[in-house]
Amino acid sequence: MGLPLEGIRILDLSWIWAGPYATKLLADMGAEVIKIEAARAYDWHRGPVSPAPGAQGITSYPDGVPGERPWNRSGWFNSLNMNKRGITLDIHTPLGGQTFLELVRISDVVIENFRYGILERLGFGYDVLRCTKPDIVVVSMPAFGNSGPWRNYIGYGVGQELLAGMAHMTGYPGEDPMKSGINHGDPITGSHAAIAILSALFRRHRTGQGAFIDISHMESSVCLVGEYILGFQMTGRNPDRMGNRHPAMAPHGIYRCRGEDQWLTIAVESDAQWQCLCEVMGRADLAKSPQFTDVLSRWCHQDEMDSAITEWTQRMDAGEAAALLQNAGVAAAPVLTSRGLLNDAHFRARGVFKTVTHPETGTHLYPGMAWHMSSIKNKPYSSAPRLGEDNSYIYSELLGMTRRRLEEMEQEGVVSTIPQERRIT
Amino acid sequence: MREGLLCGFRVVDLSQDIAGPYCTKLMAGLGADVIKVEPPEGDPSRRAGPFPDDIPHPEKSALYLYLNTGKLGVTLNLECTDGQRLLHELLKDADVIVESYPPDRAHALGISYSFLQERCPQLVVTSITPFGQTGPYRSYRAHEINLYGAGGLMYITGDPDREPLKMGPPLSQYGAGQNALIATLCALWQRESTGEGQHADISIAEYNLSILENAIAAYTYTGHIVSRMGNRGYGRAAHGIYLCRDGHIGVVAMPDHRWLAMSEIMEREELRDSRFQTRAGRLENADEIDALMLPWLVEHDKEDIFKRGQEAGLGFALVHTFEDLLRCEQLVDRDFFTPVEHPEAGRLQYPGAPFKIDDAEWRTAPAPLLGEHNEAVYCGRLGYARQDLVRLRQMEAI
Repeated sequence: MGLPLEGIRILDLSWIWAGPYATKLLADMGAEVIKIEAARAYDWHRGPVSPAPGAQGITSYPDGVPGERPWNRSGWFNSLNMNKRGITLDIHTPLGGQTFLELVRISDVVIENFRYGILERLGFGYDVLRCTKPDIVVVSMPAFGNSGPWRNYIGYGVGQELLAGMAHMTGYPGEDPMKSGINHGDPITGSHAAIAILSALFRRHRTGQGAFIDISHMESSVCLVGEYILGFQMTGRNPDRMGNRHPAMAPHGIYRCRGEDQWLTIAVESDAQWQCLCEVMGRADLAKSPQFTDVLSRWCHQDEMDSAITEWTQRMDAGEAAALLQNAGVAAAPVLTSRGLLNDAHFRARGVFKTVTHPETGTHLYPGMAWHMSSIKNKPYSSAPRLGEDNSYIYSELLGMTRRRLEEMEQEGVVSTIPQERRIT
Repeated sequence: MREGLLCGFRVVDLSQDIAGPYCTKLMAGLGADVIKVEPPEGDPSRRAGPFPDDIPHPEKSALYLYLNTGKLGVTLNLECTDGQRLLHELLKDADVIVESYPPDRAHALGISYSFLQERCPQLVVTSITPFGQTGPYRSYRAHEINLYGAGGLMYITGDPDREPLKMGPPLSQYGAGQNALIATLCALWQRESTGEGQHADISIAEYNLSILENAIAAYTYTGHIVSRMGNRGYGRAAHGIYLCRDGHIGVVAMPDHRWLAMSEIMEREELRDSRFQTRAGRLENADEIDALMLPWLVEHDKEDIFKRGQEAGLGFALVHTFEDLLRCEQLVDRDFFTPVEHPEAGRLQYPGAPFKIDDAEWRTAPAPLLGEHNEAVYCGRLGYARQDLVRLRQMEAI
């Protein structure tokens, strides 16, 4: 059996994370994703043309060495863009624009995450694309959507958890709001974009109708805190910043384990599980203590209880402690680092990481598909495209362009594969 | 005609917690026919708050109300043969079943994929569990904090030199629910050509490890283990959450070439200092920059700061409270919130669709009351008589 989305072609003008995350999910499922970059405007995740010595930024070069073509050696870019085709095409030029429309004509989806109105100003608004390909599905995802008083405002990933109310309810108790170690808004909005694309393709399949999909990162993220939107209206209160504690469960938290920066998470949902936890810790005294017999008592005595639990965990290896607790029916898991994830027996058994060889970075493990499908066994992975890697395939084979036309585009810099230094913000 | 993008699909939703219900909430919003199947005592999320005035009530849980808009609701006891028979009758015409039982439990209840595949080969079976259907942890229990830890997100969230921190909202479960829907739609798409369903196996922990930004590649490419960066991530100064007069504001001094605008916004000539002209220089002097900004920030309100930053082309972000969100002019202008009238919980503003697609319908019927659609589904669709419902109820099958 082939891959689920074989036969769907997506033109991907998006950069950074949200858009490329959407197309990564669809590429992993078999869609043909053609990533379009220009030599003077390529995906930021490739990093600068000449990185400052020692500066890794968000890129990560193999062994810290940028090499001759650093833009092809960014680990972050190479993780997010596997299984995609990559071409260079400067759509600001007349020849580039004409070629872009030729690609639109043979595609199913166009996705972009430029600032509001950019594509329209370049002459590629939805109306133009629809004239070229009447049933095209177009995704436009500026930070705040394509309408409203903030439509011209810009948004970086760092702001989305703040704007969506997530940061306000995250943080150490009694301290300032905090954001997470990643920009959650990007995968959230990327996933919603992938959902929108597939849903629009089902309608097209049924009715022949294309679609214009308008996604606001802020709205998309607020959908993931819906119960707190309702909750505020019900109680007049914002949720508290509780650190690692829980409004109902106790114990619920993170406990220091043996070794440096090693931690165990535990969540106890019933009195019976509390008894199991005490038994695993060998603390019959705690199990009998009236301070901790029921959830309300435990909730009121969390500091004492957490100290008692830490007495046990700090002598334990986090992974071993988690296994003991899980075998006793208590929800527990170690706090894994990237190395811990790569070495974890469970994730290895499930084949979560894939070995992929990239022509300019060598062989590494990468996170593979984000889920498993029974029809997909041992899917082959192709490495992320080097800048302009698939120009020949796309222009000559797919579009059937004459050599003369391609030479003309090369001469005018439309399909150059030598990037120009640009502002990476 | 206005119709949902996914109209025509029939979904049976056995899932609990958050991931599965969010997946099927989106399907219902997009027009699919979703039957939420609850045990006779009700879905556990009916017990989760917040509740109006902090008085628990099974029909007024914010979590339940939000996650189940647009769905039909039936009760069904999977533990008894009558209940299992009813489920299999429902599945005959269904396109999708979404479930979240531990794999061994699903097997015992007669809803394992191998069992369903034989009887309903057209069915897409979507299973969402903490660690997936295979592997040594497949039966492990996990709540949000455990998933955040096991998936690698927690290690990189929080202050350096302090304990790792969980996000407040349960984003792992929501995010896995989003992925579950993408997987489900891919399976349905493939079914158009093969006529066969398949099994989508979603692990919430694996969702987390798939969104670690550069953390995995940083290790595999360089051996570096990404750790907690607190409020000063990404090697930048003036890039994080700061106190201001009426709350907190996200100062985001990006893009780099607009740095000088910061001194104009904050009326601080000192921010033009030559030492601050490069990103590296600013990072080196980040504390000094903070000290220069803070007096101005605490004298100004967050919306004012946000707009001054944005008008100067900087990506400032408001730290919205939930109160702020409900009256946010951008959300109001785009009609993001949708009023939903629920017979028990009353009228509340709900977040609307996560994206806007021309004239396609987004369904926002209120979440079902416990067993609200038993008659419509069991009598109307499966052809049982009302007296049968009484018998089934007495047998505790529904």
